Amino acid sequence: MWRYIKWGFRIFVLLFVAAFLHYTMPQRDIVQIINTYNKVTPIGSNWMFYSIEDTGTGAETTNTTRDIRYIDAVFPDGKTVMVYRNEDTGWFWPPYFKWDSSSLQAEATNYKSDKTNPTWVAVTHYGWRLPIFSIFPNAVGVTEIAGPDVRLIPWVNIVIFAFMAFVIFMIWRMLAQFRERMVDPALDRMNETLDAVDREADYAKAQARGVWGRFMAWIGSWKSKPRR
Amino acid sequence: MIFGWIRLLLMALVLLTIIYFVVGIYSRSVRREKLEKRFDAGGIDGDRAVYIEAGMKAYDKGLKKRLLWLIYILPLTAMAVTAYLVNLH
Repeated sequence: MWRYIKWGFRIFVLLFVAAFLHYTMPQRDIVQIINTYNKVTPIGSNWMFYSIEDTGTGAETTNTTRDIRYIDAVFPDGKTVMVYRNEDTGWFWPPYFKWDSSSLQAEATNYKSDKTNPTWVAVTHYGWRLPIFSIFPNAVGVTEIAGPDVRLIPWVNIVIFAFMAFVIFMIWRMLAQFRERMVDPALDRMNETLDAVDREADYAKAQARGVWGRFMAWIGSWKSKPRR
Repeated sequence: MIFGWIRLLLMALVLLTIIYFVVGIYSRSVRREKLEKRFDAGGIDGDRAVYIEAGMKAYDKGLKKRLLWLIYILPLTAMAVTAYLVNLH
């Protein structure tokens, strides 16, 4: 029972971290941009998936309605569509330091093309499209590419994951060092102290037994001797 | 908005300072252990404590300790590069 709870908790933490990274790390879609526009967007309990206030596109409004830029795109299969929002990320999370949404919107509009003569672009973005919560991935950059079959290597993600692995390794090493150099010697000292206390207690007990034993022997000497 | 950036910078500096000191303690500890092991392997004359203190003094002046400044330099550079690539590239 307890084992299941423990493993359930671990799997939950793992899934949460994976989902968090999947949301935050940059991804690139190969798409054709079909429309760009602004829409006054009400933001409610899904505020977590929009830019925080106090950023370039969020500071103007403190109420729950915000004018947000959107980019419509279609994947090479010609049917699957994607809607990106285009908001500044501001000074906090996620750390893209994006403040060029206006320029990005202009670039996206510049790449707008129709089905007969498509322009293929790679849209760098983070986030998810979840219609049930009305949340959109945030476009970060747009680059023109040769065609829909170009293979994109996620160098940024490779570098970030390698760095994260390095940080985890270093934290593990530091904890090991801390245990070896600080905790274990302290425990040894404590054990030595306890042993010393124990020895003293044993000695005192032996002493006490000696005194007590002598005392009892003295009491015993008062007992009447068996008569002959 | 400007206030947000200043806040970010201050938060980053506080966090990086904490990391700097923790990694600094770790690095010193590793160096001290290495010196202890080198002395205990034998072949070195003189007092153990004196040898280790001399080694730690050399460490304090050495290149490795200065490399710890990368803890400040690298993240701040990464922030600047990210901002450049996202906005101006």
